[in-house]
Amino acid sequence: MKRLICALLAAGAVYACPAVADTGNATADGTAPLFDEGKLLATGGVSNVEGAGGGGLATWALITGYGTRDGLSANVHETYIDLPDYSLQSPGISVGLYDRVELSYDWQAFDTEHTGKLLGLGEGFTFHQQILGAKLKLIGDAVYDQDSLMPQIAAGVQYKDNDRGAIIKAVGGKASDGTDFYIAATKVLLEESVLLNATVRETEANQFGILGFGGPRNSGYSTEFEGSAVLLLSRNWAIGGEYRTKPDNLAFAKEDNAFDAFVAYFFDKHLSATLAYVDLGNIAINNNQHGVYASLQVGL
Amino acid sequence: MIDRPALFAIAFAIAANGLGVVALADEDNVIVQLGRAFHPGTIDIARGSTLTFENRDDFIHQIYVASDSFGFDSEEKAPGENLTETFDVAGTFEVHCHIHPKMKLVVHVN
Amino acid sequence: MQKNGFLYAFGKLVAAGAVISALMMTGPAQADDSLYRDLGERTGIAKIVEATTANFLSDERVRHTFDDTNIDRFKALFTDQLCVVAGGPCQYKGRDMRTAHKGLHLTNRDFNAVVEDLQTGMDSCGIPFRTQNRLLARLAPMQREVVTR
Repeated sequence: MKRLICALLAAGAVYACPAVADTGNATADGTAPLFDEGKLLATGGVSNVEGAGGGGLATWALITGYGTRDGLSANVHETYIDLPDYSLQSPGISVGLYDRVELSYDWQAFDTEHTGKLLGLGEGFTFHQQILGAKLKLIGDAVYDQDSLMPQIAAGVQYKDNDRGAIIKAVGGKASDGTDFYIAATKVLLEESVLLNATVRETEANQFGILGFGGPRNSGYSTEFEGSAVLLLSRNWAIGGEYRTKPDNLAFAKEDNAFDAFVAYFFDKHLSATLAYVDLGNIAINNNQHGVYASLQVGL
Repeated sequence: MIDRPALFAIAFAIAANGLGVVALADEDNVIVQLGRAFHPGTIDIARGSTLTFENRDDFIHQIYVASDSFGFDSEEKAPGENLTETFDVAGTFEVHCHIHPKMKLVVHVN
Repeated sequence: MQKNGFLYAFGKLVAAGAVISALMMTGPAQADDSLYRDLGERTGIAKIVEATTANFLSDERVRHTFDDTNIDRFKALFTDQLCVVAGGPCQYKGRDMRTAHKGLHLTNRDFNAVVEDLQTGMDSCGIPFRTQNRLLARLAPMQREVVTR
């Protein structure tokens, strides 16, 4: 909880910082500042559960933030997921470089609450994971290419490192760190005010890596899919649904595919909030893990 | 007998014309449009003279004169295009571009 | 067996292509003037252009590009342009987008600022968001002609 408050305070400080107010305005001779805030509202996506630019569950081909190809973007986010038997809290930072490269760092704390005690780990036993992400936009422009069906395509990696190696081994996981590889295709269909995304991911991660990587059922990579369909209601509001398939590597616990339905509010180019109903299915010994997903993103 | 300097001048004039370089006399009647401005900004010409407007700019330009005694209104010309205009009325006229209001050329027609 | 496999794969590709082509045909039909009507026809578009141009001239990011521009001429051309793009019975007599904008050395930020000012202009004219996006869908591809920096 303390970390949550600290993260929110930091986010507030970034938002209030005078430099934030100054960026985006033209200098006297009409040239743009480095953090040029040039992209259209909402076209940087929000921060997904792994800290990458995208929706809630899915990573998209959009580069985070509002820097155009001539500038930079940087933002911090805090995500909180409240489930019947667990909670996840996840602050992170990401930067966009020339609308071409995205780098992200996400830190996750997965609290097993009472289940920790039931598993013999202790009440409130928490798994911590760091996720380092890199994404490269390859081809296409989700917003400008309205005269073709060609999506914006990006490829990326997410290196995940979990600190509970011993526990992971004990539940049958093969490794406490692992790397996801993905290709995402995102398209904005302005004619319909719709955004669509499809991502293919190669992963060994159990529950996004929170329960380690690999297991008795499959110790290698599996190909998973995540899709988002978003309806743009106005410049500031969007609603959508996402579906993400997951491997089912561990024998002691079934892993389900995940689903969410969200609403995102883009206050301005510095602040957005996402609220979702998320259904993660079975996690470890508890079924029906569905609850609230809330995320705040603050940027330069 | 033609002396060396004269010989050299004659040779140069022939070479210059042969290379298609605009002879010094013709250059007086060329106005270049560049940087959303006329170069030169003023010119004195004899009545009946023709001015050539060369668009060497990155912008489309047009020229017009609106006065009681003399006037014209040209087509728009893209970069690389030229047009000519004959000034057969004496007086002082301002040439403007209807795309770029700040452009001005003053022509004194004798 | 391999030949059959190839034909099967090729057949699937053709079928996929047919589906994609059908999808592509759900895009705006050229003879359709529904967007033109939804924008309020010529009068409505002129109002949008009026509001949008006022936004350009007060937008710090954009107004310097209008420093030495005949605003009346610009508004007339912009109105014709939007009318044509929306499927209206107008003629755009200006030059192509590339020639018209080349000297301004515009960036994506400039282009997007113009889009935002147009969105705000359409907001003030009461154009619904979904209708706005239908117009923007037709203007968006101009980015590759208008942006030269």
